[in-house]
Amino acid sequence: MKRRDFITKTTAATALLTLNNLEILAAPKIKTKHITIIHSNDVHSNIDPFNSDHPRYPNLGGTARRAAYVNSVRNENPNMLLLDAGDMFQGTPYFNYFGGELEFKLMSMMKYDAATIGNHEFDNGIDGILAQLPNAKFDLVSANYDFSNTVLDTFVKPYKIFNVDNVKIGVFGLGVKLEGLVDKKMYKETVYLDPIEIAQDMTRILKENEKCDLIICLSHLGYYYKATPEVVSDLNLASKTKDIDLIIGGHSHTFLQKPTITKNIEGKNVLVNQVGRDGVNMGRIDFYFDTLKNKTHKAERIIII
Amino acid sequence: MKKYILIFLTLFLVFSCKTPKLYVSKVEASLTEIKNQTPLNEFEEVIAPYRNKMEKEVNTVLTYTPTTISRRDGKLESSLSNLMADMCYEQANPVFLNRTGKDIDFAMFNYDGLRSDIQKGNITVGNAFELMPFENTLLVLALSGEKMEELIQYLIAEKRAHPVSKQFRLLIKENSYNLTINNIPFDAKKTYYVLTSDYLQGGGDNMNFFKNPIKIIDIDYKLRASIIDYFSKKESITTQLDGRITAE
Repeated sequence: MKRRDFITKTTAATALLTLNNLEILAAPKIKTKHITIIHSNDVHSNIDPFNSDHPRYPNLGGTARRAAYVNSVRNENPNMLLLDAGDMFQGTPYFNYFGGELEFKLMSMMKYDAATIGNHEFDNGIDGILAQLPNAKFDLVSANYDFSNTVLDTFVKPYKIFNVDNVKIGVFGLGVKLEGLVDKKMYKETVYLDPIEIAQDMTRILKENEKCDLIICLSHLGYYYKATPEVVSDLNLASKTKDIDLIIGGHSHTFLQKPTITKNIEGKNVLVNQVGRDGVNMGRIDFYFDTLKNKTHKAERIIII
Repeated sequence: MKKYILIFLTLFLVFSCKTPKLYVSKVEASLTEIKNQTPLNEFEEVIAPYRNKMEKEVNTVLTYTPTTISRRDGKLESSLSNLMADMCYEQANPVFLNRTGKDIDFAMFNYDGLRSDIQKGNITVGNAFELMPFENTLLVLALSGEKMEELIQYLIAEKRAHPVSKQFRLLIKENSYNLTINNIPFDAKKTYYVLTSDYLQGGGDNMNFFKNPIKIIDIDYKLRASIIDYFSKKESITTQLDGRITAE
């Protein structure tokens, strides 16, 4: 369906209804919705901007600036979700001194909706995550970490469903394998489950049972491992699952200039995005919906600015 | 009449249907660099007290160095590499000795783990964080002669200033080597106690010889804590290149 057709049909429908003097039937005319997703990953406790003499990111980043950006988008489109793909903690002395308190407080002020748990969230142990939860007014979602034998049991949900302007959006989280990456003393009895299998369960629940209009995965698996392509990554996840619309990634600190458009197991498009590290960038994805069954997600409909 | 039935039917259908299903018709994406946005005051106000408290602690002076301690002032060793391995050894050995009745034979870390040089002048808590920003833990590994042989071959192949403590003296020859540990020639039949970090034990920096040791002894001592403790007890820091790893 081309945009021209779209406009023509809308006009025709309106004209017809007006002729029949049936304003009450204006409701079934084509509805359009616009949802904005703003996302970050691997901010690593970078509260302050980098100094002007920083070798890689001079003068970049800073929470007060990120907040200004988020506010400007929110003013433009209040129908938005603000999401983070993990490793909010560790990287500056702010974390070493305050244990993530300030990171969570500022994210709450920015009105983050959800974040997933990265490996560095465990740097003060699983008790360190629990201790900071009162500072987080957003949800931590993680579907493949089984916390049932830990202090985080019931505090972390596998997924969360948001209703934004009557668009049902399912957001689930996936974390990286902890063994060999995080000291067992830190993650204790957390059980790492296979991300692909869990993602298949999640999409079944979110699509078939919950009838979500949009499914987003917050992944801390890493974008893709060239030297070890068999290691589970966002690109592998995309190709082995269905019904995921967007994977917001982290962990590999990958700077993508634009989202990667890849195919899922059914040959449908999946977007994979990641915006580097340290809060020097924020990503934005705008989804436009309508009620016309004009096949969705065709590559030509994805416009990258 | 017909017309009204139609209207009724239409109305019935409209109201009996659920919300019409939504389809994605278009997606747009963009990337925004965080640089020129005007910082929000309400955020700055929340951050300021944390920043002040942190800076006060980070700026706490622990000790002093008359010279810059660099990663790059030697070839197979450097003053920072030597300091790193020696100070961790000095801090960890009494803990290990107390728990096991044995001495650590030597310490070994990775060159890339030295995250920042220490400029001459006062050494602060902040310097310790810059040198070691990660929460790594010190471990003592019991290594077989075979794994030790792999460790030696790794050092010979790498040709980099990986930190080793002063007990470890390696002379690399054209087709062989001479190694003494605590002035005693290396014995491939002996088990050696090597101090390293949990990161390297897990195979970090391809130090795979640390992966499956005979035994791992966790001394519950964070690497950075050992650095801060060492700096705190010394009036000043002196380092030198002493030829602990050389090539003919």
